[in-house]
Amino acid sequence: MRPVIGVTLHGVEARKVEVEVEITGGLFSISIVGLPDTAVREAKERVRAALRSVGLNVRGRVAINLAPADLPKEGALLDLPMAVGIAVAMGEAKPPERAILMGELALDGRVRKARGVVPAAVLALKERFKIFVPKENIGEVSLVKGVEAYAVESLGELLAHLRGDMALKRVEEYQETGELPKADPDLSEIKGHTQAKRALEIAAAGHHNVFMIGSPGSGKTMLAKALRGILPPLSDQEAMDVLLIKSTLGLPPGNIRERPFRIVHHTASTVAVCGGGPNLRPGEISLAHRGVLFLDEFTEFRRELVEALRQPLEDGAIVVSRASGSVSYPARVLLVAACNPCPCGYLGDPIRQCRCSASAIERYQRKISGPIVDRMDLYVSVPRLSPQELVSINPADSTDSATVRQRVIKARTLQLARWEKWGYSCNAEVPEKILRKHLSLSGDALTFLEKMAGKLQLTGRGITRILRVARTIADLDGSSDVGIGHLSEALAYRKGASMLWMS
Amino acid sequence: MSGHLKLGSAGEDFACRKLEEMGYEIISRNERFKAGEIDIVAMESGELAFVEVRTRSIGVMSPPEATVGPRKLRKLVKCGQIYVENTGWEGPWRVDIAAITVDKKGSMKFELFKDVTVGLVEL
Repeated sequence: MRPVIGVTLHGVEARKVEVEVEITGGLFSISIVGLPDTAVREAKERVRAALRSVGLNVRGRVAINLAPADLPKEGALLDLPMAVGIAVAMGEAKPPERAILMGELALDGRVRKARGVVPAAVLALKERFKIFVPKENIGEVSLVKGVEAYAVESLGELLAHLRGDMALKRVEEYQETGELPKADPDLSEIKGHTQAKRALEIAAAGHHNVFMIGSPGSGKTMLAKALRGILPPLSDQEAMDVLLIKSTLGLPPGNIRERPFRIVHHTASTVAVCGGGPNLRPGEISLAHRGVLFLDEFTEFRRELVEALRQPLEDGAIVVSRASGSVSYPARVLLVAACNPCPCGYLGDPIRQCRCSASAIERYQRKISGPIVDRMDLYVSVPRLSPQELVSINPADSTDSATVRQRVIKARTLQLARWEKWGYSCNAEVPEKILRKHLSLSGDALTFLEKMAGKLQLTGRGITRILRVARTIADLDGSSDVGIGHLSEALAYRKGASMLWMS
Repeated sequence: MSGHLKLGSAGEDFACRKLEEMGYEIISRNERFKAGEIDIVAMESGELAFVEVRTRSIGVMSPPEATVGPRKLRKLVKCGQIYVENTGWEGPWRVDIAAITVDKKGSMKFELFKDVTVGLVEL
C-alpha cells in the first residue's frame, strides 16, 4: 500500500513524514505512533469528526504509524494526511501519487491554515512532488516558484479530487509588482545628523552593524527607522530565506522584497530573541535575518541576552540546542543598537549638565562588554540638535531616501560581482581569509593601518571589521581600490568605540 | 422474582423488540462471564453491538443512561473482548446503551445511545 505523505518542521526545513494507516476489527480506537507531540495526538478527535462530516464513519481499531519513527512530529499540519490515510485504508479514496498533504482540520471538515507551508513547498519542489495546502495559505505557496500546488478548502473537496470526481485548480504563481513601501521617515525629512546619515548609508550598503549613542530625544530611534527606507530590496534567494522563517512561525509573507525590520524591547527574554522554547521556534534575530535587528536602549537589555548575540553576529546563524533536538536558524542581521551615554542621558551634551556620578557612569558603560563592542562596525554619536535647527521650518537640506537607496544598490552590485564566486553577497559576510586576499588595499593605506592598529589597540577581529567597512566605503565611491581616504573614514567610525563616551 | 428484577427483564424484552424494529439482528441474550454480563448481543450493519439495557421507573432522580459509569463501561468492554475472542469475530464491534423509562401507567419509553465508549475507555 502506498503511504500518504505529510511533513513536519525541523528548524526552517520540512521533513517528509510517511503516514501509514491500518484498520482492523474491534472496538473503535485510534492510536498514533511515531513520536507525535500533543497536537498530533489530539488530531484523532479532529480527524474522526472531519471524516464523519464527509460521510465516512470510521469503525474498528485504527493504527497510524508516522515514519520515520525516530523523528519527533509536531503541530497540527499532519491532520490532513492522517484523515486521507484513513479514507484510503477504508477504500474510500485512491492514495495520492507523489504528493505532500498538509493542513489542520476543523471538526466540520474545513482545512485550517498551517504553519510551515513554504518549507514544505520547497521540499515538494526539490522532490518533484505535488503539494496540497490549506486555502488560507495560498498567498505563501504562490511565492514559491515552480511548485505544483493545489489549495484545499475542505477534506471533502480533497477526497473528491483524489477519487477523480472533481479536479482542483492549480495555484497560480504570484506576479510581483516589484514595489517597495515608501520610506518613513524619509532621510530628507531628518534635519542635521549628517554623520549619522552617512553611517546609515554605509551600514545599508555593506550590511554593517551600527551603534548609536546620544542624549534622549536626539533622534536615534528615528534614524534607525529611516534605515528601512534605504536598504536595498531582497534578492530572490534572500527573499526565500526570509519567507522560510516567516512561514515557520505562521506569519503572513508581507511584501517579499522588503527587508525585515524588527524592533526588540529590552524586556525581551533570551529565548524570544535567540529562538528555542519547548518546541523550538526561531527568535527575533532569525526573523530579522537579511534585515535589521534594532535594539533600542541597548544598556537596559539583560546581560545574558546581549552576550548570547555574540556568536550569531559573527557566524550569521544561531544553533539552538534543547533536549528535543538541535537546529540551526539563519541569523545574518544588521544590528542597530542605540543607547544613552550615561544613566541621566546628558553626558557630553553641550547645554545640559550631566548629573551622574563617575561610578554610576562607569557602571553604566560596563554593561556593554568588550566582545560586543568588538562586533560593532560603525560607532555614531547622535548629538542633540540646537534649538535653531529644531525650530527652523526650512526643509532639511539632504538627499532623500530613494536616492540613497540607489547608491546603496549600486554598491551592493559591486560587492556581489566581487564575492559571488564564493557564494557571498555583501562585505559584512565575507570571511576574513577571503576578504584580506581580495581587498585591493593600496600600499599607503596599509602602512596607515599598521600605525593606527597599534594606537587604537585593535584586535584581529577589529581590524577585519575596519577593512570590511573601508571596502564598503570604497564601493560606495565606485573605487576598485581601498585608498587611504576610505580607510581613514572607516577608522573614524571605529574610533568612536573608545572615544564616544568621553566626547 | 423481586420487583426491580422483574422490571429489568421486562425492559430487556422491550429493548429487543425495539432493536429488531431498528434493524438489529439479535444474536444472543444475557451472555454471562466471570467479568460480568452482556444483556443483548446483536448485529447491525456488519458490526457487532453489545447492548446494555437500563430500565428505570419515572421519578427516580437520574435518567437510566446516567447510571452507567466508567467502571461499568470498562466492564462492558472487557466482556466484549472476551466474547469476540470466544466467538472468533474479527470485524468491528461497539457498545450501545438502551435506556428505558417506565411511567406510572406502565408504558415504556425507549432511547438508544450508540457507541458510548468513544473517548471514555482506552484499551
